Amino acid sequence: MNDEMTCIVCPRGCEMRIVDGHPAQVIGAGCKRGVKYALNELRCPVRTIASSALVDNGTLPLVSVRVTAPIPKDKIFDVMKVIKKIKLSAPCHVGDVVIKNVLNLDSDVIVTKNLPER
Amino acid sequence: MNTSKDVVIIGAGPAGLAAAVALKKKGVEEITVLEREDNAGGILRQCIHDGFGLTCFGESISGPEYAERFLKQALELNIEIMTGATVISLSQEKCVTITSDKGLIKIQAKTVVLAMGCRERTRGALAIPGERPSGIYTAGMAQNYINLCNLMVGREIVILGSGDIGLIMARRLALEGAHVIGVYEVLPYPSGLNRNITQCLKDYEIPLYLSETVTEIHGRTRLNGVTVSKVDQNRKPIPGSKRGIPCDTLILSVGLIPENELSMEAGVQLDSKTGAAVVSESYETNISGIFAAGNVLHVHDLADQVSLEAERLANGVFEYLTKKRLEAVDIKVVPQKGIRYVIPQHISHKKDFFLSFRVKRPMEDCAVELIQNGQIIMKRKKIRLLPAEMIQIKVPEKSIQDHGEIEVLVR
Amino acid sequence: MEKFDVAIVGAGIIGCAVARELSRYKLKIGVFEKNHDVCFETTGRNSGVLHGGFAYDRGSLKAECCLEGNREFDQTAKELDIPFKRTGKLLVGEDISDYKSLLEVLDQGHDNGCSELRLVSEEEIKKLVPYAQGKYGLFSPLSGIMDPFQYVIGLAENAKLNGVEFFFHERVNKVSRDRSGFIVQSKNKKIESRWLINAAAMGGPAISEMAGISGYRTTAGKGAYIILDKKTGLYLPMPVYPVPNNSYMGVHVTPTVDGNAIIGPAGDEIEDGDDYSVSQEIIEYLSKSASRIWPCIRKKDYIRNYCGNAAKWYDSKGLIYDYKIEIRDDQAPHFINMVNMESPALTSALPLARRAATLMKDRENLHINTSFDPMRIRVTRFTEMSDREREEKIRENPDYGEIICRCEKVTKAEIIQAIHNPLGVNTVAGIKLRTRAMTGRCQGGYCEMRIVKLLQEELGVSEREIIYEREGSYMFSGKVR
Repeated sequence: MNDEMTCIVCPRGCEMRIVDGHPAQVIGAGCKRGVKYALNELRCPVRTIASSALVDNGTLPLVSVRVTAPIPKDKIFDVMKVIKKIKLSAPCHVGDVVIKNVLNLDSDVIVTKNLPER
Repeated sequence: MNTSKDVVIIGAGPAGLAAAVALKKKGVEEITVLEREDNAGGILRQCIHDGFGLTCFGESISGPEYAERFLKQALELNIEIMTGATVISLSQEKCVTITSDKGLIKIQAKTVVLAMGCRERTRGALAIPGERPSGIYTAGMAQNYINLCNLMVGREIVILGSGDIGLIMARRLALEGAHVIGVYEVLPYPSGLNRNITQCLKDYEIPLYLSETVTEIHGRTRLNGVTVSKVDQNRKPIPGSKRGIPCDTLILSVGLIPENELSMEAGVQLDSKTGAAVVSESYETNISGIFAAGNVLHVHDLADQVSLEAERLANGVFEYLTKKRLEAVDIKVVPQKGIRYVIPQHISHKKDFFLSFRVKRPMEDCAVELIQNGQIIMKRKKIRLLPAEMIQIKVPEKSIQDHGEIEVLVR
Repeated sequence: MEKFDVAIVGAGIIGCAVARELSRYKLKIGVFEKNHDVCFETTGRNSGVLHGGFAYDRGSLKAECCLEGNREFDQTAKELDIPFKRTGKLLVGEDISDYKSLLEVLDQGHDNGCSELRLVSEEEIKKLVPYAQGKYGLFSPLSGIMDPFQYVIGLAENAKLNGVEFFFHERVNKVSRDRSGFIVQSKNKKIESRWLINAAAMGGPAISEMAGISGYRTTAGKGAYIILDKKTGLYLPMPVYPVPNNSYMGVHVTPTVDGNAIIGPAGDEIEDGDDYSVSQEIIEYLSKSASRIWPCIRKKDYIRNYCGNAAKWYDSKGLIYDYKIEIRDDQAPHFINMVNMESPALTSALPLARRAATLMKDRENLHINTSFDPMRIRVTRFTEMSDREREEKIRENPDYGEIICRCEKVTKAEIIQAIHNPLGVNTVAGIKLRTRAMTGRCQGGYCEMRIVKLLQEELGVSEREIIYEREGSYMFSGKVR
């Protein structure tokens, strides 16, 4: 089974191909991270996501958040459901952990913008 | 209120902030950064997705975090950043007129750094025919509304243009529960980075239609549909190929235009290929002491590139301030076959320079050549070159001859 | 039911001019307007030209009113604070047949009272408009350009100041009579009125029929325009028109008071007056046609395009050419019908309004409104002030220092004043037309979000209530969170 993919680790976006086998071979990767990505992508594809959380009394109505580590691709919308329920109070700071270990996926949801009180 | 400064930087986005920090670190004291928004950060404030900082910080962080890294340094270095300050006039003599709620200020600058970024191409500029409903937004506007204003633009989305902003917004809209019907691209290849095709479209099963474009807009009050048509190799609609797509929102990601109104007012010469300033290896424009970097100079793919370019500009500004003028840049750098534009457009032969350029069309198994006086002074083999990816090559001084135009081409 | 003396249907240039004119008298006046503002139909979709009066049949009401309106416009612009420039207008022709037509226009113009109208040579054409192309020319020194939005807004605001009431988003759907006069109804309003004045354009025949005069119908003459960047406007000091005939002025190029250039109009006759679409063919035709008289048109300078639909009235005899202000005392007493108020309506508006008032004065005593104030002052614009004035203004009101629309340099103070406008209207397009915000190169790309935010803050409207222009043109589907 051959699988083609574009690496998303860095902007180069190397076109890679995996040839199945023991061990599987990755062709076209520009670096080691790409190889790791390719192998992972077949077994358990992961992604980082960023979104917004509602804030009370801040200079803006929303603050940007993201996950600290990639989460399984098929859990993206489950994590989004959790993010949609978040209600924070200003002030918010870059790095504030809003949800530790979201859905037990070994990734935190953190605030990514400094938002002062109104 | 009149003052004078060594450096006035117009724009506190990734270019302006990086230039300010680099200059302060070099020991330049009198720096003012002018930002028209109430907060510094520029466009980064609304780019909440990650992918920033891979080169500059070795991590993948969001736009606001990336801006914060520079802002923190700027604060620690005591750099003056005036927010809510709009430059309304820039003269050739480097007099900067600013308005803010505190009044009008004129600053006489020894050097000016243009870091105003770019604006988006609009429906009006494209002259897309049809009715005049609400529900049509450029990708940047939609991004601002969703990420900063807590306003959702619509539910059934068509995106015109596969540039990175359009792709990023496709994902953003899908994450927020909108139905992104498809991304339509007039060229036969995507305009954005391949990684974004994967992580923004394929991941969310959003179809990408190449060689197709929106040829008519429908809806008397709110958008209720668009007509899309296939196009031929000359981008002309193929008769009989049109179909109607019901939707309530059209997002336009159809090009970025460097914002150079102030530059023109100051008499800065523009390059018709970029719509932006003609610059030297030190990023100085034709007006002595006026420099430009970032998207105002040419549209970049990544903020990291912008910051690094601004740091190179800072070297040029520093040299200008200490030596009062820079080396004569008599050697022209000219884009030839297959190359859309080059930056810088002239150089001296007295130092290394950083060449940035883009190809006109996707190319495979090719070679980039720099030819001067009929000789190939540099050659780089490339497996793949895409218009969506800016190419940057450092050209060492020892490779450059002391006279003769340098042609840049790709075979 | 509220009792009025006069009910006016339509708040376009004619309705607002009549309202303002009648507010000089002690009358209770109400104006019904189907849209959310005064300038959304043809009044806000035209060339913005003050016409000279020569392009109309001798002895016509058009010629008479146009000349009158033209001559008094300095005064009108002063009273209502309308941006206006008496630039002159140039007509150009290529060949002998064009020359003969120009001679006819010259003759007609002189007979209509335009004594200053004169032929110009190819050399003079180049002096007047260096980039204009033509071998033969006609120059009208008293023609000009104005801001049509400020004109109709000015009329309406002045009328309101002098006691007129406006009912926006109230399309008249029924007119009937009782003993005391008319009963005029719309969705949320029902009033009694002694007089009824029909200033509706496309909807005019229907109102006329309900009031007792049938037999009219209207179609729409589509007129599409392209707006060009101010950079090209520098090459157009005055409007340049091709050789006209009395029913069609041709695709012309016109500078705006703000420095843009507009190309148009062109389009077909259609039935649906609400169809403001612009086709690819028309855009290409406009560019091609206008380039013959002014070859400065480049796609890269396109800001946007728009379209206006001029109502063309027909009666049993066919197309009506002239203005007609009618009252039929036995058939439909106290009903004044403003029929076929097409171009040059901007120029002719106040003269037409005065003639409507005369029809009233001939039938009853109208008492002067002693507190009538003809002056209206518009919002001070940052762009029109000197640095000194700006400093002072910012000290008075810091919001004048904060630029919201950077392409057109419109400040927060101007936006807020536009939001709190005297007519009480609140669409995004209304703010745009009052301040010029969002009309520049970036078409709101930078400022629209900030304007929306100010609208929400100042008026407390929810996100679903914000509309762009027409009813139903909602901008947002809801909140994100």
